[in-house]
Amino acid sequence: MIYRILNNDDVAEEVLQDTFLRIWDRIGSYDSGKGRLFTWMLNVARNLAIDKTRSKEISKVRKTDDIDDLVNKIDRKQQAEQNIDIIGLKEFLGRLSEDQKFVVEHLYLKGYTQSELADEFNIPLGTVKTRLRLAIIELRTILEVKS
Amino acid sequence: MNVKEYISSGILESYASGELSESERADVERNLAQYPELRKELSLIEETMEAFFLKAAKEPRAAVKTRILEAITLRSVQSVVSREQRPTNNEPKSNVIAFWKYATAASIVLAFTSTFMAYNFWNNWKETEVSLLQLRAVNEQVARDYDQVNQRLDAIENEMKIVSSPSFARVVMKGTANSPDAMASVYWNKSTQESYLSIQNLKALAQEQQYQLWAIVDGKPIDMGVFDSATGLHKMKSVGNVAAFAVTIEPRGGKPSPSMATMQVLGNT
Repeated sequence: MIYRILNNDDVAEEVLQDTFLRIWDRIGSYDSGKGRLFTWMLNVARNLAIDKTRSKEISKVRKTDDIDDLVNKIDRKQQAEQNIDIIGLKEFLGRLSEDQKFVVEHLYLKGYTQSELADEFNIPLGTVKTRLRLAIIELRTILEVKS
Repeated sequence: MNVKEYISSGILESYASGELSESERADVERNLAQYPELRKELSLIEETMEAFFLKAAKEPRAAVKTRILEAITLRSVQSVVSREQRPTNNEPKSNVIAFWKYATAASIVLAFTSTFMAYNFWNNWKETEVSLLQLRAVNEQVARDYDQVNQRLDAIENEMKIVSSPSFARVVMKGTANSPDAMASVYWNKSTQESYLSIQNLKALAQEQQYQLWAIVDGKPIDMGVFDSATGLHKMKSVGNVAAFAVTIEPRGGKPSPSMATMQVLGNT
C-alpha cells in the first residue's frame, strides 16, 4: 500500500522502515478492543505514506495519474512476475462499479483522505463514505471474505 | 439508535481507515462497546480491508527486511538506554506492554552481550591456561637446572676438598707404549685407604669395553673397580700399601685379573 501511494521503490522502503519503527514504538498504544492489529498497522503505514507525499511535493504528479496510468507505468518498469498481482488487482477492481472503483483507488491506493477526495472532485463527503461502504461490501464478495 | 442506518452511513469504514476526528472516534468506540452487531460489522470491514490490501500488496526488495530488523534492534537498544536514563517518564497506560517490550529488548541485548563476554572470557581463559602450562614447564626446567648445578657444585666442592687435602697423595699415571698421550691420576689416602680417580686424558672406548683400575700391592694386581672415561673424581675401592696404580682396558664389567697387554697408564706411589 505504501508503494501504491508513493509509487517509488526507494521512498516506499524508507517509509516502510519508518512504519515498522513507529509500530515498535507505539505498540503499547494499540488496543485490541478497538480493532484488528492489521488495521492499526495499516493506518500507521498509511499516515506515514501520506505525510511523505505531502513533504515530497510529489502529490501533484501522483494525483493526475489514474489507475491505468499507474498500471501502464508499472508494466513498463517492472518484471513480468510483479505484473501478475497488478493484473489481478486491476481485474478485481474492474468488477466494481466505476464510482466504487474510483473511490477505492483514490482512498486506498493513492493516499487520498476522504475529505481531500470530496473537495478535489466535488463529491459530498457523505457520498464518498457510502460509496466506500458499497465498495467494501462488493469487495467482500469478490475477495470471498466469510462472515 | 438505528444500527442498520448507522452501519450504512459508512462511518465504520471511515473509522477503520482512521479517517475520523478524535470526538467522532470516541463516539464510534462507545457505540461499538454497546452494540455487538457493530463489532461484527467492523470485523467484517477490517477483514475485507485486510484481504484487499494483501491482494494489492507489493513485496519489498529482499534487503529491506534486514535493514528494518537492524533499525529495530538499534532502536530497542536506544530505548533501553534512554529508559535507564529517565526511569520516571512512563505512560502508565502502556506500562505492561512497555515493560515486556523493554524486557525483550533488554534480554536480547543481554544475550548478545553475555555471548560476547562468554566468548571473550573463554578466549582469555584458554590463553591463560596455555601461558600457565608454559610457565610451569619453564619452572620445572629451571628447578632441574638448579638441582643439577647444585649437585655439580657439591661434587666440585667435594673434589676440591680431596684435591687440596694434605692427607691425599696424588699418584700421576702416565701413558704406556700403548698410548703415550694418555694420563690419569689417583688421589690416595694412605691412612684411610680411600682412593679417587681423576682422568686427564683417556681415549673413548667402544660400548662393550670399560677401563679398569688396578692397585699393585705386594707385586699383585688388585681390582679397584671399573669406570668409563669422564670428567671429575671417581671414588674407587679402598686399598692400602700400594706400590703402583695402573689402568687397563677390559670387557664391560671388568675382569678378576688384568690384561696386561692393554695397559694404558701406570704410576708408582
